[in-house]
Amino acid sequence: MTPEDLLGRLGTRLSLRRRMTYAGVGLTGLAGSALIGVLWATEPGLPARTQAAFGVLVLIGLAWATFGGWVVTRRMPLFARDRVVAGWLGLIAWTIFAVGAVVIAPVVPTWLIVVVGALGVVAAANLGVALRARAALLRRRAELGG
Amino acid sequence: MSDELMVVRCQLGERDAFAELVRAWHGRVERYVARMLGRRDDDVVQEVWLAVVRGLPKLRQPDRFGPWLYAIARRAVMNRLRDAYAIPEPPPVDELPDEASAVVDRELVAGALAALPAREREVLLLFHLEDLSLDVCAQICAVPVGTVKSRLNRGRRLLRDELLRKGYEA
Repeated sequence: MTPEDLLGRLGTRLSLRRRMTYAGVGLTGLAGSALIGVLWATEPGLPARTQAAFGVLVLIGLAWATFGGWVVTRRMPLFARDRVVAGWLGLIAWTIFAVGAVVIAPVVPTWLIVVVGALGVVAAANLGVALRARAALLRRRAELGG
Repeated sequence: MSDELMVVRCQLGERDAFAELVRAWHGRVERYVARMLGRRDDDVVQEVWLAVVRGLPKLRQPDRFGPWLYAIARRAVMNRLRDAYAIPEPPPVDELPDEASAVVDRELVAGALAALPAREREVLLLFHLEDLSLDVCAQICAVPVGTVKSRLNRGRRLLRDELLRKGYEA
């Protein structure tokens, strides 16, 4: 097997687009299930069938989030550049969730503000860590003459 | 380009750098796997590189890429040689006189390695054929340096016996 053969076999594992697709799938699942959760928690007088359907939808969203998270942490870990892109995707997903939560909740309760705020802090911190890690590697690359 | 620079560029996500890293190390991985298993095995080599792709983003010391890669290759080989590694290790042997190490020649070692137990084979391979230090061998094999020395002594003795059996003069 030549190095080129090997690189061909590893092609899918090295694809940025593929890794970002999995990260996007996970974040979409998370944001979707969170929005349905907000609707479920804030909408009064929902019939039992609707609640059951919401429960199933939340589980489906969480399943996709778990799958995406598993892929990008265990099977195709993110490199520094990928983590920055994923960090921005996370921030976008949080923005969609925050705006959606405010729009769909008939009354915005205090706990929802706390949850949205906490998730926003997590998303921003995650992006900050990714940017710092990439900057450190860029500095090291420059020191090594690359 | 140094290994450390290639690894740092890989960690940044530069695909070209990964291709360079593979070109620089693929031969050594193939050779190590073939000598440990006694045959070429593309599946094991691919398994090693998949583990490298998975582990590279978390590698904390890019300058230690070589030992880290050999440790991964060793684990992949161990998975294929579970039976050989399951045999209890004999007690340490005393240092042999120079006569034993004098017989260790690169080509002869490579040819006779297949007959040796897996633990002795791997330290002889890493120390004599890959030119790694005792410390690095110990790190790769996850054992103390003293154990590596003991395995080397035992391995040289077994290798000498094997070569003599094959008709080589010590």
